[in-house]
Amino acid sequence: MMKKILARGELIAVVLTAFLALILGGWQIMLIAALAGMLIGLSAEHKANYLPRAAGVAAFVGLILIAITHFHNTSLSTLPGMEHIPDQAKTVGTYLIALGVIIGLAVLTAWIHNLADERKRQVYFIGLMVALAVFFPFFEQCPGLSWTNFKFVDMAAGCSEQSNLLWIGPVIVMFIYALQAIGLNIVAGFAGLLDLGYVAFFAIGAYTMGLLRSQQLGSQMGDPDFFRWSFWIVIWIAAATAAFFGLVFGAPTLRLRGDYLAIVTLGFGEIVPIVVKNLYAVRIFEPISLFIGQLFGQKSSDLMQFCLLGCGAKPLDITAGTKGISPIYPPDFFGYTFTVGEYVPWYFLALTLLVVSAFFIYRLRASRIGRAWVSMREDELAANAMGVDLIRTKLTAFVLGAMFSGFAGAFYASYTTLITPDSFDFSISVIILAQVILGGSGNIAGVMLGSSIIMLIDRVLLDKLKMVINGVLQGLVFKGIDNQALAVFWTSLTDATAYKILLFGLILVVMMKVRPQGILPEQTAARRRAA
Amino acid sequence: MLELKNVHTYYGNIHALRGVNLVVNKGEIVTLIGSNGAGKTTTLRTIQGILRPREGEILLEGVALHKLPPHEIVRRGVSQSPEGRLIFPRMSVKENLEMGAYQRNDASGIAEDMERVFKLFPRLKERIGQRGGTLSGGEQQMLSMGRALMARPRVMLLDEPSMGLAPILVDQIFDIIRELHSQGVTILLVEQNARLALSVADRGYVLETGEMALTGPAKELLHNPQVKAAYLGENH
Ligand SMILES: Nc1ncnc2c1ncn2[C@@H]1O[C@H](COP(=O)(O)OP(=O)(O)OP(=O)(O)O)[C@@H](O)[C@H]1O
Ligand SMILES: [Mg+2]
Repeated sequence: MMKKILARGELIAVVLTAFLALILGGWQIMLIAALAGMLIGLSAEHKANYLPRAAGVAAFVGLILIAITHFHNTSLSTLPGMEHIPDQAKTVGTYLIALGVIIGLAVLTAWIHNLADERKRQVYFIGLMVALAVFFPFFEQCPGLSWTNFKFVDMAAGCSEQSNLLWIGPVIVMFIYALQAIGLNIVAGFAGLLDLGYVAFFAIGAYTMGLLRSQQLGSQMGDPDFFRWSFWIVIWIAAATAAFFGLVFGAPTLRLRGDYLAIVTLGFGEIVPIVVKNLYAVRIFEPISLFIGQLFGQKSSDLMQFCLLGCGAKPLDITAGTKGISPIYPPDFFGYTFTVGEYVPWYFLALTLLVVSAFFIYRLRASRIGRAWVSMREDELAANAMGVDLIRTKLTAFVLGAMFSGFAGAFYASYTTLITPDSFDFSISVIILAQVILGGSGNIAGVMLGSSIIMLIDRVLLDKLKMVINGVLQGLVFKGIDNQALAVFWTSLTDATAYKILLFGLILVVMMKVRPQGILPEQTAARRRAA
Repeated sequence: MLELKNVHTYYGNIHALRGVNLVVNKGEIVTLIGSNGAGKTTTLRTIQGILRPREGEILLEGVALHKLPPHEIVRRGVSQSPEGRLIFPRMSVKENLEMGAYQRNDASGIAEDMERVFKLFPRLKERIGQRGGTLSGGEQQMLSMGRALMARPRVMLLDEPSMGLAPILVDQIFDIIRELHSQGVTILLVEQNARLALSVADRGYVLETGEMALTGPAKELLHNPQVKAAYLGENH
């Protein structure tokens, strides 16, 4: 019965809206409105009257959104530990803007979604996504103020006090992960090679940036500022270095099949951080004297050897071991220097990197080499019979995948200004692979969607959920009860962030069961054109 | 044009081809028949370089194919519609055909050949955007042959094109083989259905457990009592 009244996508929009509004509240009403509006638009398949219908459903969901957000703003947010909601976020004006956003986006998305021309549909949709992404930093922080206060750099400073939680930081990290995910998609999605050590190239990119844009090496050479090369050059060097290591790791191993390749790549992911951890006292001698001396039976301690590297009083400290490299200089851009905490420029840099990479990868997929990758995944024997050079084609996938991870790593190092071997844990490889599989292996848009879902759960939603549950427990359930131990027990038991890995595992298992091809499955290029 | 001289191929220790000699002349259809496990598929894979002969030579107009990797062999004009079709299931019909032309880079020639394939198999044109894996068995066979044609081959290897098809479809496929023959395409045809294969071929070879047992003009083989008994299911 319910299905008759609301389509499946609309139903999901209702549930999602209610849940998010309950735990988020405040300014986030705008983000939820945008998300729900697009979902409603995308589920508008009814041919007749689909526009008024989308508007109606959007208005209905919008009212739910406003009601629950208002409940959050006025009641939930008074519970202990909850985030302060700024007054501007509670006004009727803000609610009306949110209503406008949800209806407007629902109608717009529905219109695009029902365009007859497939090409147009795609271009408009991408345009809409890019427009939303460009708007996002102004919208998410303080939409009421931003109209008067539209100054680019002032945004973060002017608005951050309005809200404790800024989404923009997590979203920048999300972009970094999405960049890696679309890179891994080349390897795992297109070419079908299971790479469990993808984080190795992220680390290599990050450390290249760290070494070439910090005092780590320079201070040991007497000129601390020696390595302060331009960010815009170093990011290419970082990508090239990662690609080079992709070649070095890939060339001997890509002959292996399936499980064996997975195990070897797993090893790479482990080895790189360990090597980095241990490169803090390096002194290298030329080996020839030792070799010749030993031929003549001399003891190595008696030999005169020429020192090549780390010849000072102290050996060379390349990576600073577990301490990590810091601070890494932020980029400059025509006289403007990026700064920590001023998110908007970082946001646009990351967004540009992601969009350009996505476009490039899209073109790659449509090209001859892209077809070769997919054919190899589909049937290696047949691909070979068509004249695909298997080893070389696998290697190009591996190297290009590594390159994008290198880009991501280089950006990450600049953005966080501190990198340690622990930032490149095995779990990153797994999380990125999960994003690829969840979103739809082989589909670039799907992979980016998978990335957003997992990263937002990881970086935002679980924290907020924990906060809300905590507030309810402390403010309502245990209010009159004077049993600290019990309260602490329940607080830690309901800590949503502790269930993160369990949740991701569950998501993957459920996906494998109900939709193994991912949320947005891969489509064939020609089918999209012909449909 | 294509010549195999004393070719020996192994799977590990299994001696699958034990000195195969075979010649295909330009413009000919040559058929290779034999019972299950005789080594027909192995012969085609060896020609394409997917398997390496341990001994012997494979020459295409004097060029030693057995020293080249598969992609070089394809570039020199040997294409195959493999046993079981092996189309790419999640690629569109169009992309499957484009994969056939993988070793070519003459865009106009490829477009021309695409039209030619669509003329031979109008069904494929109707399904151009459909995923290969969702085609029917007969359509998949057409796609597999079309894909092999996209290489503009000098020699086309066909491995059991009639496998698993209804009689009407088998007739259609063999009509197309005849059509290709009249267009001058050189074909090495492997078949279980010996009668049909010998009826379209110029010459035939009979392979028995990795060795050539018989060879001759197709008409003669059709009437050879040994062939009749073993492969045509006739008692004489
Ligand atoms: N991958 C393999 N590993 C080991 N032995 C194999 C392999 N492929 C084929 N063989 C063996 O090689 C021999 C020849 O096989 P082949 O596939 O060439 O036969 P065929 O003539 O094509 O048979 P069919 O008509 O059934 O297709 C058989 O004995 C088979 O068992
Ligand atoms: Mg066979």
